[in-house]
Amino acid sequence: MTQPTRIGLEPLQTIGNDTPRIDAVERVTGAAQYTRDFKLPGMVYARVLRSPHPHARIRSIDVSAALALPGVLDVITNETSPIVWGAGCVSGGRQYNDPIKDATIHRRYIFNNPVRCVGDSVAAVAATDRNIAEAALELIEVEYEELPFVLEPEEALADDAPRIWPEGNMCPDTRNEFEPMTSRIGDMEAGFAEADRVFEQRYETGFVHNAQMEPRCALATWEGDKLTLYTPSQGISNCRHDTARDLGLQDHQVRIVSQYMGGGFGNKNQNQDADLIAAELSRRTDRPVMLEYSRREDWLGVHGRWPTVQEYRVGVRNDGTVTAMQMRGYSGMGPYRKNSGGISGMDYYACPNRLREIYPVYTNRTTSGNFRAPSDPHGVYGVESIMDDIAYEMGMDPVEFALRNMRRPTEEAPFTNYSLEEVITTGAEQFDWQARRRVQPGSDEGPLKRGAGFSFMMFRAGLGTSSAVVRVDSQGRYTLYVGVTDIGPGAKTTLGMIAAEALGVPLSQVEVVWGDTDRTPYSVGESGSRTTIMTGYAVVQAAENLKQQIADRGMPSGADVLIGTATPVPGTDGLIRQCFAAHFVEVEVDTSMGTTRVLKYTAVHESGRIINPTTARDQIRGAAIQGIGQALHEDLLYDPRNGQPLSPGYYRGRHLTHQDIPEIDVTFIEVDDGYGPFGAKTAGESGIILAPAAVANAVANATGKRMRSLPITRDKLLQEVSA
Amino acid sequence: MNSDSFDPAADGQAVEPDAPESPSRREFLETTGATVAASTVASFATPAMAQSTEAAAPRTAISVSVNGVRHEIEVEDRWTLAEMLRDSIGLTGTKIGCDRSECGACTVLMNGEPVYSCSQLAVWADGAEIRTVEGLAQNGGLSPLQQSFVDNNAPQCGFCTPGQLMSATALLEANPSPTAVEARAALVGNLCRCSNYNAIVEAVVAAGEGGVA
Repeated sequence: MTQPTRIGLEPLQTIGNDTPRIDAVERVTGAAQYTRDFKLPGMVYARVLRSPHPHARIRSIDVSAALALPGVLDVITNETSPIVWGAGCVSGGRQYNDPIKDATIHRRYIFNNPVRCVGDSVAAVAATDRNIAEAALELIEVEYEELPFVLEPEEALADDAPRIWPEGNMCPDTRNEFEPMTSRIGDMEAGFAEADRVFEQRYETGFVHNAQMEPRCALATWEGDKLTLYTPSQGISNCRHDTARDLGLQDHQVRIVSQYMGGGFGNKNQNQDADLIAAELSRRTDRPVMLEYSRREDWLGVHGRWPTVQEYRVGVRNDGTVTAMQMRGYSGMGPYRKNSGGISGMDYYACPNRLREIYPVYTNRTTSGNFRAPSDPHGVYGVESIMDDIAYEMGMDPVEFALRNMRRPTEEAPFTNYSLEEVITTGAEQFDWQARRRVQPGSDEGPLKRGAGFSFMMFRAGLGTSSAVVRVDSQGRYTLYVGVTDIGPGAKTTLGMIAAEALGVPLSQVEVVWGDTDRTPYSVGESGSRTTIMTGYAVVQAAENLKQQIADRGMPSGADVLIGTATPVPGTDGLIRQCFAAHFVEVEVDTSMGTTRVLKYTAVHESGRIINPTTARDQIRGAAIQGIGQALHEDLLYDPRNGQPLSPGYYRGRHLTHQDIPEIDVTFIEVDDGYGPFGAKTAGESGIILAPAAVANAVANATGKRMRSLPITRDKLLQEVSA
Repeated sequence: MNSDSFDPAADGQAVEPDAPESPSRREFLETTGATVAASTVASFATPAMAQSTEAAAPRTAISVSVNGVRHEIEVEDRWTLAEMLRDSIGLTGTKIGCDRSECGACTVLMNGEPVYSCSQLAVWADGAEIRTVEGLAQNGGLSPLQQSFVDNNAPQCGFCTPGQLMSATALLEANPSPTAVEARAALVGNLCRCSNYNAIVEAVVAAGEGGVA
């Protein structure tokens, strides 16, 4: 196995040692049960009817023929089941905020009228088997009044654009007002006045579907007034709460079970409309209902990373100091705003004069939402593209330019620790940056051109509340109860390792109970890179609590057990806590074919102390590869004439395969800053942030041409290099 | 799910009409699945699917060996091999990721060759030997490839893992010491959105005779 390079700390007893997942055998034998693998007695199957139009009013729905089909148990529509999906559209994109969900003016229902994108849900059927349910969909007669549609965010803001919501196409903020998301520091006029040169550029980035391997599904069953949902969820606690609120239940009336799940990368957080549709059909039919989305439905009915337009203006002094940074951005949210629409990256710079305005805009494309580091890879691509161009334009090395201008701790804004310079210089050395980059971009002779690019980042690693319970019995067996799901990064193993370390016992003595709200306490969920640091912190505290009880009372005997619990509210004493990384990429561009091949990829991360080096390594490698896909391949194209999506699915999305994959060299610089569980920071999202920028910069270095639109597809590249 | 409890009669006994207008899965696969061996094509003796919603879905009795166990089973002609394995035989280790030949999560071995079971009709498996992920472990022990997947962290979310394992099993049977290049070529039809490709290839190479873990 290719081990990550590790600099800084020695392994502890358990933590820091390469550890196979504690459920690895289930994962390689087919024993792991994913949601679609469950079969309950009397279970029936559900399917959803979806809009074929990008924007249409439903004049009527006739379900009589569908209901008459033998085997069909129920058909539901907006008329029978006007259930608001609170997490499906939130003012300000504030996914965790109940009062804002209640106040949201643009309410998304589980079935909508008008329908606002191809794939918007119209009706659902429950039937005794899948084929009957699918046949019944064909028998539902919907009369649509087609409405004009708009696909591009800037066009959607025009006065005469078709209105997707009555107030227009600007997404409302948390106060239901229609203002851009604006952050401003310093004095822009003074900053640009101080500059010797001012650079301007515009970039675009595409829609990137999360494309997790397991399509969305949900299995609902009721016992009396208690709902049990088997559903692939990244956050069983928030899924339970959202489902209860949407259905008018108390939290304790909903049980969420989600243990093995086939990925999510941000699109399985909160509850989903599939959960509500399955629950409603199950309630009405009094049968367990399994709702399954097809791959195409998952593509069009769930969500992916928002496409953006970014316009930058940057002022620089002749010595290479950035004096002013300005960006106006547009994020295409689809017809419902699930999440922020953020575009980040400017905050990596120390420049004291910065203005960022982002317009989150409704369009008649499919919904946008969170995908691994939701605001970051596309934003960093934009910022680092213009900064890279500025550096070369001014005859500077982009690494030197970054070291001169990047944000550093100040007296007013101190960090728990700061490793940004170290990750950059370590990466430059390991990658052999000076040898691989072309001082004159595009200077290779002939059609095959090589070049190198880099990018750097910091990403939040702040602490927060989560809960854990640890029990010990008289046999000395420890059971850890944590409300996490194991979406892929290996949280179950990581938290078991943290418990074993804190308890001073081998991992084999710790059993982990997870993924079921009736059996586990609150956890933040597998999102925001929070599980290891927040739930892990609670695990340490619960273990300390248990150890104190053992010290006071001795080990339990007979049938007795001792139970340690903790719901800590940790902080960082007012210090900024970040993880840090720099990625370096070498590419070879075939300028006659328009293809780009990644030859070398070096990723250096400071994520605090690494709990399990094997799984941490593969968080970084996998995320970097996803980022390469975003840089070079993935998009969801639409036909502007009819609003139809052209490339849903893996084949047309051109996802990377085994044969497209470079080696990814991973280095962890390990630091214990005294915060977080044993000094651990965040890793899961951070690896995807840098790849699009680093790849795009490498392409620019190889070709001498700046690609201003992601993905860097063959047609775009050929157009640029032949220009 | 316990395959001993499998009762084929419990599944799909209802009279099932077909979709009235859209082409059936069977028709679709028959049109597109031209690469299927002629001997199996010749075995569909049943007429084309009835288009009436009144008609029962046609069924055919087949005999198929799955992981060394022979099943005499009546399948609906429209069932895919993946549906039969998961729903009728109860072997849910085979995953359906796309149901249209894009992702490879459903890969099983049919007479030793990797196939996408979402794009094979169950009736085409008449007389065939099928192997699924549940059949890899022998005598209570993981196969060397499975153990290598464990040791090298080849599964992340694990949803593509059964398909990766089956393609890699076929590779190792044909080529006991594959290089990384050969492993990538053999597994190219198996997507991994966790993008854990490096670890998967490392696991396959390490499982080979010349491999180093």
